[in-house]
Amino acid sequence: MSDANPSAGEVGADRSGTDPVLRVEDLVVEFSTEKGRIRAVDGISFSVMPGEPVGIVGESGCGKTVTALSVLKLIPSPPGRIARGRVILDGRDVVPLGEREMRRLRGNVASMIFQEPMTALNPVFTIGSQMTEVLRIHRRMSRREAREHSIEMLHTVNIESPAKRFTQYPHELSGGMRQRVMIAMALSCDPKLLLADEPSTALDVTVQAQVMEEIRRLQEERRMSMILITHDLGVIAETCRRVIVMYCGKIVEVSDTRGLFAHPRHPYTSGLLASIPKVREKKIGRLPTIKGMVPDLADLPKGCRFADRCPKATAQCREKEPELVEVSPGQQVACFYPD
Amino acid sequence: METLQFAFRKILYAIPLLFGVTLISFLLMVYFGPDLTYSLIGKNPTAEQIAEVRTQLGYDQPFFIRYGMFLKEMVTFDFGNSLSTGERVSSILLRTVPVSFAVALPGFVLSELLALALALIAANHRGGFVDKGIMVFAVVGMSISFLIVVIVFQIAFCSIYGLNLFPVQGWVVSNVADYFHYVAVPTMVIVFVGLGYNTRFFRAVIVEELNRDYVRTARAYGVSRFRILSAHILKNAMIPISTRVIISLPFVVIAGNLVIERYFNIPGVGLITYNAITTGDLPIVKAVVTSTAILYVIALVFTDIVYRMIDPRVALNS
Repeated sequence: MSDANPSAGEVGADRSGTDPVLRVEDLVVEFSTEKGRIRAVDGISFSVMPGEPVGIVGESGCGKTVTALSVLKLIPSPPGRIARGRVILDGRDVVPLGEREMRRLRGNVASMIFQEPMTALNPVFTIGSQMTEVLRIHRRMSRREAREHSIEMLHTVNIESPAKRFTQYPHELSGGMRQRVMIAMALSCDPKLLLADEPSTALDVTVQAQVMEEIRRLQEERRMSMILITHDLGVIAETCRRVIVMYCGKIVEVSDTRGLFAHPRHPYTSGLLASIPKVREKKIGRLPTIKGMVPDLADLPKGCRFADRCPKATAQCREKEPELVEVSPGQQVACFYPD
Repeated sequence: METLQFAFRKILYAIPLLFGVTLISFLLMVYFGPDLTYSLIGKNPTAEQIAEVRTQLGYDQPFFIRYGMFLKEMVTFDFGNSLSTGERVSSILLRTVPVSFAVALPGFVLSELLALALALIAANHRGGFVDKGIMVFAVVGMSISFLIVVIVFQIAFCSIYGLNLFPVQGWVVSNVADYFHYVAVPTMVIVFVGLGYNTRFFRAVIVEELNRDYVRTARAYGVSRFRILSAHILKNAMIPISTRVIISLPFVVIAGNLVIERYFNIPGVGLITYNAITTGDLPIVKAVVTSTAILYVIALVFTDIVYRMIDPRVALNS
């Protein structure tokens, strides 16, 4: 069935002897475009243990959002489809499941928070009606129970006067508050896994910190697994135990957070880290950047996808694609010349 | 309560608009309109005779007096008498408006509802065969001339060459059975003609809503496809849809279906307007055009109020 070894890039499994909440094996997601079929996610494998916060970092278009959407099979189809692989959520492969069965998992076993709190809520329904709908679907609560539970959830995410907010419409709330509402809604059915897709990117800087703090606190309190998608390594450093670095639809490095910051193995990761401004640096010069452009997914180079931008690339890199291999305990990298 | 205040304010704002509408109607149809002097007097009139008729018609009055008289006609619903039959215009309208309404309403309602259903189905199968089939049907429906549709339906349903089930023209209604008998074919024609436009418009609105982020959110929380379409999307789509429906209402009620009533010889507003235009019966034209304009303004106010009820984002104090 698959030409890659499914366990080759397996990370995190069997570390504590319990089963992972999510195990992705050799996932391939394809989109048909005008330029032909492209692979937005190309054979990635990883897993998330119970209670573990995992970060996925990468540039726009590297496949991190598509990965998260695949977990709940929310990829717009057509044009997208899961072409290969398994996504084992809470012990069950979701890839062959139909819409009806998926609906039971969505917002229940795994919930998702989106990037744009301004548009993610329906403008013509109240906060309350949108929150209670989820509870009524999954928990079969009465209107009253759902109302009480929702107000309690709003309280949990530190929204003041929750009973009043419950009756208001999204436009009456600030961006940060709306994102809190999304969090409350995401957690209302006590999911095992939270998929947070750049939850703070669209917010003001001060509000960003508050929202991330809220997510961090709730994730810890509820011992919930989480996949945090971001392009902000700072947010990852504060929140995640483990980091997956993606580039052009592939995982290039997996590492525990401390190891990644102390000793990045992949040249791409090093480049990302070098491009973060450092406050304590004495001499403030130009920030280093990664030269070159992300290759077009429809026209990928033959060997390593990062080769054209890599300072260490050799002839071998342009010929063969490196596989993800463990270089030290807890650190895996897909590079022929890891640091 | 807030909504009531909002409605009241909107009605107040409509008053200057009504003055504008009546002023333009007055300028076009009365002040710069046809001069009836010479059609009322005989051959070789003297200057005194002309002056006398002009005084009778009020042509010698200053502008504002004449506009005032025009407004008085509007407010008191007294448009004078028809030039061709001598009947009071207000009683002609009272007789014909209900007929037009009865003819146009079933077709109007059916056309909107069917179009909405088809648009929902098409949008739900966006890009698929069902969608393409419905859209081809819509474009074909739109492309056929109204007159051809009328003639084909009349031949198919009202003639010995077809089913010969319904009367080809007229309006002799004394009970419900008669009503269905006479309204059936006009209704089919109205539905056929309006369906294509409406389906295309509604589908475009719904497809646009389908791509919104809140739809993805609803899916991500396990809301069923049916419920997303019938509740989440429909309520958002009602904003542009209700505008279109309400704004087309005045034409259904009063300007009527000129073509339908003419071809089926139904004595509604459309037919008397048609005859009034062709015979130069100014009081009737004046009454119909101005009342349509006024109804249009009222429909606009009503649209604003419906907006407010559907979309909470519409500001209450602007």
